[in-house]
Amino acid sequence: MGKLVIGLSSGSIDKLTGAGVMMAGAAADDMEIEVYVLLTAARAFIKGNEDLQDSVADYPHLKDEFCARLKEINVPTWVEFFEQAAEFTDVKVYICSLAGKMWGGEKMEDFNHLVTGFCGIGQYLDEAKEAELHINI
Amino acid sequence: MTNEELKALAVNKSVDARGTACPGPLLEAKKAMGTIDEGQIMEVLSADEGTKIDIPKWCKKQGHEYLGTVEESGYFKIYLKKQ
Repeated sequence: MGKLVIGLSSGSIDKLTGAGVMMAGAAADDMEIEVYVLLTAARAFIKGNEDLQDSVADYPHLKDEFCARLKEINVPTWVEFFEQAAEFTDVKVYICSLAGKMWGGEKMEDFNHLVTGFCGIGQYLDEAKEAELHINI
Repeated sequence: MTNEELKALAVNKSVDARGTACPGPLLEAKKAMGTIDEGQIMEVLSADEGTKIDIPKWCKKQGHEYLGTVEESGYFKIYLKKQ
């Protein structure tokens, strides 16, 4: 069914959740998924940072309402969306080595269980070029 | 199929996804589809409007047969046949 490549540059709860929703949809279609974690997004994947993500939002004045509504309507967290997608299809999450360094993550053990490995920008661009669907968030 | 025909179907699997928002019902339908045999019928209960569009499209992509949707009070039932 093809491959979805996501370039994830934002570490805001809004964008992380959005990426998770798209991944779940792609998983339902049996698409392979590769996520390239760039810039500020890498902060969210540092071990222990998952629960801190509601401190970052694209619309800070709506952050509390956004998080409360997600819980109220029983929407999984962004981490749960990533995990759900991996139940159905092959999901790989690569951390840009530059982005990792920005947030103090230089080794695999610095990152949470969602992360597959590190990447360079060349790998991301090559995979984006070949993918059936490429989304940059 | 008419509403009466859909309601009269012998359903092999019922998935109650009314507690989840998109894409939850779709993922629950996909998971449940793996538990039934070819030719068997599944109904998905949902209150999520997007699901009404997504599941028929998903059926087409996956090669399953979308039989129809019945509106109930505050939710709907989507009927699918595994192919």
